Amino acid sequence: MFGYITVDKSEMLGKDFEAYKAIYCSLCKQLGKDYGVLSRFILSYDCTFFAVLSLALKDDCAGFCQGRCKFNPLKKCNYLKNDTESLSLAAALSVITAYYKLRDNIADGVFFEKLLCYMLLPLFSSWHKKAAKKYEKIEKAVFEMSKSQFDFEADENCSIDKASEPTAKMLSDIMSMLVPYDDASQRLVFSTFGYYLGKWIYLCDAANDYDDDLKHNGFNPYVILYKDEKSQHIFDIEKSLNYCLNEAVNSYNLMEIKRFDRIIDNILIHGLSKKQTEILRNKE
Amino acid sequence: MNPYQVLGVSENATDAEIKNAYRELAKKYHPDNYAQNPLADLAEQKMKEINEAYDMICDMRKGSNTSSSANNANTAYGANYTHTSYPDVRRLIREGRLDDALQILNGVSGNSRSAEWYFLMGMIFSRKGWSEQAYTYFQTACRMDPTNQEFISALNNMNARRNYNPSGYNTVTPAGCSVCDVCTGLMCANCCCECFGGNGCC
Repeated sequence: MFGYITVDKSEMLGKDFEAYKAIYCSLCKQLGKDYGVLSRFILSYDCTFFAVLSLALKDDCAGFCQGRCKFNPLKKCNYLKNDTESLSLAAALSVITAYYKLRDNIADGVFFEKLLCYMLLPLFSSWHKKAAKKYEKIEKAVFEMSKSQFDFEADENCSIDKASEPTAKMLSDIMSMLVPYDDASQRLVFSTFGYYLGKWIYLCDAANDYDDDLKHNGFNPYVILYKDEKSQHIFDIEKSLNYCLNEAVNSYNLMEIKRFDRIIDNILIHGLSKKQTEILRNKE
Repeated sequence: MNPYQVLGVSENATDAEIKNAYRELAKKYHPDNYAQNPLADLAEQKMKEINEAYDMICDMRKGSNTSSSANNANTAYGANYTHTSYPDVRRLIREGRLDDALQILNGVSGNSRSAEWYFLMGMIFSRKGWSEQAYTYFQTACRMDPTNQEFISALNNMNARRNYNPSGYNTVTPAGCSVCDVCTGLMCANCCCECFGGNGCC
């Protein structure tokens, strides 16, 4: 994914930020444990958010303990006390999405980028193999996204909704994995939430790449729709993003969250809006 | 059910605090936020819970100043239409069978597509999450029949959610002179006045 799901630190309580950071560090550690030290470099905020949400649904939370960062032994970090399955799940999501992103880069990139990606491919493949075996559902969701994305990009008249559908669907499937199978109403809440969050991520990325794609003739549903300079259409783009964000927040309001609600509030209400503004404003 | 827990307040909260908490929650789960959304039923249920909790607390504290909630059992959107050419489609949408509903509508030939046809297409696409497509359908429905309250409220509802940013800030300002620019301009002018010996009285 793209690193858009971050906190807005200025709107956060210190203790909440500490907890968020601890989860971030724990996920890093978990990546190292499950897939080797090099995999720690693919740590992302998106997957940290997934870990936070997953932990927020658990009945118990063992709390935090202090440890040292492997990359900077002088720095003391907080870690989650127990290695829960939530972290393993988020780590698997990280490597699986990173693998497909790499494959995507190989398909689209310029020569040197391709070369670099090819060199990384065996490493990413080995992580991916391990994760895909353990978490088949994640693998299936991401694989389907990547496949239908490829098909849709061949369509010259692809609409905004259609282009964002694969990412939205993927996150919808992944989010509903967090809820027990028999809880139909919460599953619906989580899948709707995932759908709009995925759509927002995809459209933000499209808005971010607008000028590049316009210049280099890359696939971008906004360029297909508006065809000319982005600055002319900034309001329309913003409205489509606002809608997704509102729907995601409305779905989130119906979730039965047990902890970390202030962190998730911060990410969804402030973090994402801030990111959206940054993207729209930079290009104005 | 502990009504205080539902509203997220302590049992020692003042009446005003309870009223505030109730209002905040009622705003959050208002049916307008969930119109044309698969989660509408869940939100309605939640709203009911909140109303009941608030009424319960009001009853317990009777004699004090809190007034009872309006207990407006808000009916789901689109439930109270009077005339429809597509009763089956509406039923299918209510049951969540969107693909079946879509199939029927797609069977209607181009020149007999009424405003209601566009409205129902909008409802289907909105529920599917295809919000941009849904928006254009609602716009077309309203253009074809600008007096229909059902169509207008669907479009207004969507507009509200497109214009509002959850952070509460409206972030992108139109090119030209914004409120902020006016303020900075005035502040600069004020500074200049002071510099040139005026007593800051401009």
